[in-house]
Amino acid sequence: MSCDDNHEARTKDRAKRRSLPIAGQTSSPKYWRSVEERDRTSPVPGAANEFAGGTFDVAQYGQEDGNGGNSVSRRGFMQVASLSTAMAAVGACTKPAHKIVPFVRRPEEVTPGNPLHFATAYGLDGYASGLLVESHEGRPTKIEGNPAHPQTLGATTSFEQSLTLSVYDDDRAKQIRSGTRPLAWRTFLAETAARTSQLGQNGGAGLRFLISPTTSPFLGDLRKRILDRFPSAKFVSYSSVADDGATDGTKLAFGKPLIARHKVASANVIVSLDADFLGEGNEQTRLSREFAARREPSRQMNRLYVVEPAMTITGAMADHRLRMPGGDVGAFLASLVSMMASRGIAALAPLASLTHGQRHWDPKWLVAVATDLERNRGNSLVIVGRRQPAAVHALAAALNVALGNLGNTVEYATPLTSDPTAGVAPLGTLVQEIAGGGVDTLVITASNPVYGAPVDFKLAKLLERVPNSIYFGLYEDETAAACKTMIPAAHPLESWGDLRATDGTVSIVQPLIAPLWGGIQEADVLAAFVGEGDVGAHALLKKFWKTQGKAPGDFDGTWERWLADGIVPGTAAPAEAGLTVDGQALAQAVAPALGAARQGMEIAFASDPKMYDGRFANSVWLQELPHPITKLTWDNAAMVSEATAKALNLEDGDVVEISYRDRRIDAPILRVPGHADDVVTLPLGYGRTGGEKVAAGIGFNAGELRFSDAPWFDRGVRLEKTERQIKFSITQDHWTMAPDGRETPPPVVSATIAEVLNPHSKFHTEVEDRRPDPEHPQPVIHKPVDYSGQPYKWAMAVDLNKCTGCSACVVACQSENNITTVGKENVRKGREMQWIRIDRYYTGSFEDPEVVTQPLACVHCETAPCEYVCPVNATVHSDEGLNEMVYNRCIGTRYCSNNCPYKVRRFNFLNYINDYSAARELGMNPDVTVRTRGIMEKCTYCVQRIERKRISTRIEGRMIQDGELLTACQQGCPTGAIVFGSLNDSNSKVSQLHADPRRYDLLYEIGTRPRTVYLARVRNPNPELGQPEKAGGHE
Amino acid sequence: MSDQGHEHHSDFVPRRFLLAEFSTPTGLLAGTTKMREGGYKNLDMHSPFPIHGTEEALGLKRPKIPLIVLCGAIAGACIAYSLIYFCNVFDWPLNIGNRPPHGPPANIPITFELAVLLGGGSAFMGFFALAKLPQPYHPIFESDDFARASVDAFFLSVELEPGTDIDRALADIRAAGALSGEIVEESER
Amino acid sequence: MAAPQLDVRDPLEPVALIEGAAGHTDKTINDSLLAHVWRGAGKGWWACFAVALSLLGMLVISISWTLYKGIGTWGNNIPVGWAFGIINFVWWIGIGHAGTLISAILLLFQQKWRTSINRFAEAMTLFAVICALLFPLIHTGRPWFAAYWLLPYPSTNGIWPQFKSPLTWDVFAVSTYFTISLLFWFLGLVPDLAALRDSSQSKTKRTIYGMLAMGFRGSGRHWAEYKWSYVLLAGLSTPLVLSVHTIVSFDFATSVIPGWHTTIFPPYFVAGAVFSGFAMVMTWMIPARRFLGLKHVVTMKHLENMNKIMLVTGMFVSYGYIMEHFIAWYSGDPYEFAQFYYTRMRGPMKGIYWTMIFCNVIVPQIFWSKRFRTSIPVMWFASILINVGMWCERYNIVITSLHRDFIPSKWENYMPTWVDLSLFAGTIGLFSTLFLLFLKFIPAVAVTEVKELRHELAHDPTADPVGETH
Repeated sequence: MSCDDNHEARTKDRAKRRSLPIAGQTSSPKYWRSVEERDRTSPVPGAANEFAGGTFDVAQYGQEDGNGGNSVSRRGFMQVASLSTAMAAVGACTKPAHKIVPFVRRPEEVTPGNPLHFATAYGLDGYASGLLVESHEGRPTKIEGNPAHPQTLGATTSFEQSLTLSVYDDDRAKQIRSGTRPLAWRTFLAETAARTSQLGQNGGAGLRFLISPTTSPFLGDLRKRILDRFPSAKFVSYSSVADDGATDGTKLAFGKPLIARHKVASANVIVSLDADFLGEGNEQTRLSREFAARREPSRQMNRLYVVEPAMTITGAMADHRLRMPGGDVGAFLASLVSMMASRGIAALAPLASLTHGQRHWDPKWLVAVATDLERNRGNSLVIVGRRQPAAVHALAAALNVALGNLGNTVEYATPLTSDPTAGVAPLGTLVQEIAGGGVDTLVITASNPVYGAPVDFKLAKLLERVPNSIYFGLYEDETAAACKTMIPAAHPLESWGDLRATDGTVSIVQPLIAPLWGGIQEADVLAAFVGEGDVGAHALLKKFWKTQGKAPGDFDGTWERWLADGIVPGTAAPAEAGLTVDGQALAQAVAPALGAARQGMEIAFASDPKMYDGRFANSVWLQELPHPITKLTWDNAAMVSEATAKALNLEDGDVVEISYRDRRIDAPILRVPGHADDVVTLPLGYGRTGGEKVAAGIGFNAGELRFSDAPWFDRGVRLEKTERQIKFSITQDHWTMAPDGRETPPPVVSATIAEVLNPHSKFHTEVEDRRPDPEHPQPVIHKPVDYSGQPYKWAMAVDLNKCTGCSACVVACQSENNITTVGKENVRKGREMQWIRIDRYYTGSFEDPEVVTQPLACVHCETAPCEYVCPVNATVHSDEGLNEMVYNRCIGTRYCSNNCPYKVRRFNFLNYINDYSAARELGMNPDVTVRTRGIMEKCTYCVQRIERKRISTRIEGRMIQDGELLTACQQGCPTGAIVFGSLNDSNSKVSQLHADPRRYDLLYEIGTRPRTVYLARVRNPNPELGQPEKAGGHE
Repeated sequence: MSDQGHEHHSDFVPRRFLLAEFSTPTGLLAGTTKMREGGYKNLDMHSPFPIHGTEEALGLKRPKIPLIVLCGAIAGACIAYSLIYFCNVFDWPLNIGNRPPHGPPANIPITFELAVLLGGGSAFMGFFALAKLPQPYHPIFESDDFARASVDAFFLSVELEPGTDIDRALADIRAAGALSGEIVEESER
Repeated sequence: MAAPQLDVRDPLEPVALIEGAAGHTDKTINDSLLAHVWRGAGKGWWACFAVALSLLGMLVISISWTLYKGIGTWGNNIPVGWAFGIINFVWWIGIGHAGTLISAILLLFQQKWRTSINRFAEAMTLFAVICALLFPLIHTGRPWFAAYWLLPYPSTNGIWPQFKSPLTWDVFAVSTYFTISLLFWFLGLVPDLAALRDSSQSKTKRTIYGMLAMGFRGSGRHWAEYKWSYVLLAGLSTPLVLSVHTIVSFDFATSVIPGWHTTIFPPYFVAGAVFSGFAMVMTWMIPARRFLGLKHVVTMKHLENMNKIMLVTGMFVSYGYIMEHFIAWYSGDPYEFAQFYYTRMRGPMKGIYWTMIFCNVIVPQIFWSKRFRTSIPVMWFASILINVGMWCERYNIVITSLHRDFIPSKWENYMPTWVDLSLFAGTIGLFSTLFLLFLKFIPAVAVTEVKELRHELAHDPTADPVGETH
């Protein structure tokens, strides 16, 4: 059989380096030798027999792997292979496969070389994002959103995209250990059993669990069973970026902790108060989609007001943006509320008195917002960010209720997480207990609390007082170092489980690959405390769901469907009905919180769009991903406004000593346009000191200044300039579209809705001058090639009006196309490799700029300047108009890149793939050539996807339908800003967009005839606030 | 040494040359003309630098180099253009940035360069071929004086047919204005 | 040829082309011009040679490192895909051109003063082209393929070179240029090699030079063909030189990048080449004529003529600059305008721009004055400044144009690495090494031609078509 031969061949040349996770390799003699060696070192008696029998229990995989090889273990591959085969064999893995199925007896669904997609879910802070994972021969290679999932709607964030990198991360913890003593899982179970029986005697008084906030019903059930066994044990949820303010706020407003579910789709006016709802949070992906849907230029276009200290993705999309210190936002809202009250909104009357003294914002602004909200009662929305205190959230809730938005643009529901709050307060009580010495056994499954917890808790020190501290984590990080016992966690793509979306819908989390380094699953760790540590997560999970009564009748059949669909139908949780706000009570409750703000410069902490709270710090993709706003890579910076920097006489890269209360840290300064004055914003997640190799020594740890009483912002920070300077690896400077005053056509066009709707406005002439006009075609020397005869004429359209610059497409592209990373030094030299470059342009003033982001990859010019200069025909045009790159023909003269007016070509200046670990290579997309040194590369319009789809449709004897072929960037984009298709199909979405009145061609004037075109950015400014400065204005 | 030659190979007949030095180029020219008119064949002049009037004095025909170079250049041009045409139009036409497969302007540089290359090459090769060089040995090198031919002396050499009266030849050449005259005989190798 | 009645002055030339020619015979010229070959290498020579070799060592190291690690060891980035490599390539090629022009064009125009410097200039051409040839190869990402993929050979995957690419033209142009220059140089050398053979004292030297001379015996029949093939090679070299630098300029002119995309490049590049080439000859000739005792054949007249040529070509170049800036404004192309009036004049690399203007536009103007034109130190420093200026010009064209082109978001600055610098220094080492070897083993002046010239100046009828007897 041909595939066998392939395996033979492959095995021969690869075996030295590693074995591929393909069953059928069993025929390789090398392979068996390694098994014997393997089994000799295996601490598990009978492992050899187990393998001789080839038996294998999905529910137990990895557990015997006591010694955890520090390279990709052959056993891991066997399990992967059988797992994927088994999954395939039964649609989507209904029951544990007990036999290894070699490919010689290949199940129908599995064709070597053809990927399979499996539905699963991932929860950043406990709430589910439904994913589809592409798997090649059992190796997950690409993350896509699950269209059926109510939260992701088929899109993803850059965090989720990076999972296929982290699952193969060679730095991951690989060994269960107690101190330095390696443990086999079963030994650990034995020890735990002994310990717990002692603990049991006093009801587990000394037993504490510090977990990540989770919505998993399954884990919730385990927790219940543990508490049944140990009545006086306690669970505490903690996340260093928890949104407790929101839940506490609703408690103030409605008397019980609730979570808000926003529906921006039906909001005409959105007031975002320090809320980066397009850039972070559990609803991010869905809200982006809904928001973009309302940006279509029409009378229905929504309007976004943003009040925030530092420029965020949401702020960049704002129609009107007001910058102010985070601490003043509450005061602003109070004034807004009282103004609304004064306009006769009865429900707010009791709150009218809250109006605040300080008013350093433009009163016109406040009036305009108030009027707009009033005008759109019921269809307006006030969103408050996670950083704001409870009082602000409460006021917002009251305002939303008073405006009648409840149920239409926002609704409230009981939190789905096992603990309503997961922030400083609950952790504080635990810290008390530890300090009191009352904790004997502490199980930490929260993500790296030692790094994330407030400094005044001194968690690392306290942990020494816990006789038996057990940390369960992916990496040997700061927390692992502080705990006695370390249990390497299985990666989310290696684990069984379940999660709920914000609307309550349950998704079953299923593994895509066996734990590469014998990681343990969270369920198994918890189960160990009810004596079921060896049953296996899969069995427990299925047992649990069998009892939930969601699947009457044939459970296995239903279970199968749940796994296949990625959601459990009918699990959505209803919203709270009949909520009312007691104005009086609220007024009294919030009044003190809004009291006099302290003086001095404000220190503000922010979760990082790339590192989040630091848990992604070991991802080279995210480290090298340019920050959506600052375009900073491989670093974080203390962000200040131009004015503040001037006042302190600071330049970008100057290292300052930040002193706050009794602590000081050094951090480099970065001036950010649109940043509030007298505020320094410190992104979290950097300055890691754990065992992660990539994360080590990058940036500074803002957490060093984070106190439990001021987790997000506070006044009274001082910046002292030091002598030191650092060089940032920044991919784009603060350049407007005409940095030095030159008068070249602006790369991005933006206009106001009024201009767009008026056919005679200057805007229309401007874009018409920048796109082909059938009446007056551009003069040409050579007759344009006619593509109408071809089956397809591939093209792309990017709607700048929808692009938020979130950068999910960049990582999606990186993962789909095996794009390498180059490291800090080379980024600084200008050698970054991401095929998509999201250009960020400021227009207007440095203080209050408008931001437009423009994703720019190869635009596939029909008269490509890169092609005629290549001396070896390494880049040529395809019949369907793709500008093709022939890697193995390229000799690397770089002439094509020089002659590319868009500068979208990327060159392998060094052999970057040299230092890939064997594991990392597993994550490569086998459909895409891995480029070595000296080769030019660039966007291919995902030609491998085109060809795969072409083949499948040809087999079905039909054409590729519009919309069934998505490029990676298009698929990842949460807002649907990127559209790809064939221009020969006049009904295709892309054809329509090419005919859109907002369409313009980048660098049209030089006659490259690009296939990727742009749709102008449209803003919907409030006429009462006057027109914002026209884009293209110069700095 | 020629006697020894006889002992070994009786069939070896050494070529004999009459080598005479003249004081000036002018004299050399005059002498050469005189000798040629005197019925001597196979004359040659040897000077450290080219002398105007050599062709006339020796009665040479038009030089052949120019024609050779012309052919070389034309051949180069044809090869280049037809190669490009074959590759771009027949063998594998590609859409290169919307340019037509056959773009005459783009073919000019290579066509020109190859013309020059083959033209120049044939000028060089042509000379050595026509001059029958390299030729490490030539009978007149037997003369010790001849070393000065490349420095500052002007020689006339006459290859004597077998049976020529040597004394008469010497007399004639003196009459033609030579400073000295000697007989050089090819040695056997 | 009785010495007394010689008029050693060329009627056309107010200054002697061979000083004290009266005292000279073919023999003395022969000996004086070959002397430095027979003379053993002096301390000076060895000192220079040691320096040259150490620089050459740097070249070897930096090339090896580049091949081992990749182009990433250079300062190049995106957008600055080309940098030192191409600058040096263009710079060296340009220098090479002057040599050919001196020997070929002046020969065609029967400029007598050419004779004493042409051998020197031709050698310079060869060595400069060798240095230039290094860069197109090693600047590629995969030299091991670049070495032969640009040649049209029937490969297994059936792909041919892309004949529309200026780089492909380059390959043909530069290789042709090197070959022709080599043949031309060697052909001119053959009679001198014969002279060396015949005046050499030791057997080994005689054998070596004998082999190189190929048995040339100054035969009249040979001279008859020789003259033609030499003249024809010269005739072919002249358009060749023009074509080569035209094609080199096409690398830039055919692109779309502001500052590259212009029609004035071909003449402008050729003028620049002659300009820098003559400057380079000057830089080397002045010390050489002193230390090799060539003052009597390389006279002030030669130097002054070369200065005049530098003045003229310098003004061609200045005209080129003026036109570039004028057209950038006149065309109304905003990118073109931005390139010249913002990026170059005021951008981060403006220092290079103004150095270029000073060295190439201002400095040559001093040669209007006879005093400077005939002052050795002045002309020597000027020639060095001009070499610097022309290097800056290439920097402006290659790097400054690239580092800020159309889309502001992908602008980057450029910083050379130690590899870039040592590659440049290394090629100077290679050039010097070859040149010193040349000065040691081969007559630096075309002896044969000087003898011929002497006879011409001596109104020797054979050197004069009119022909008078005495």
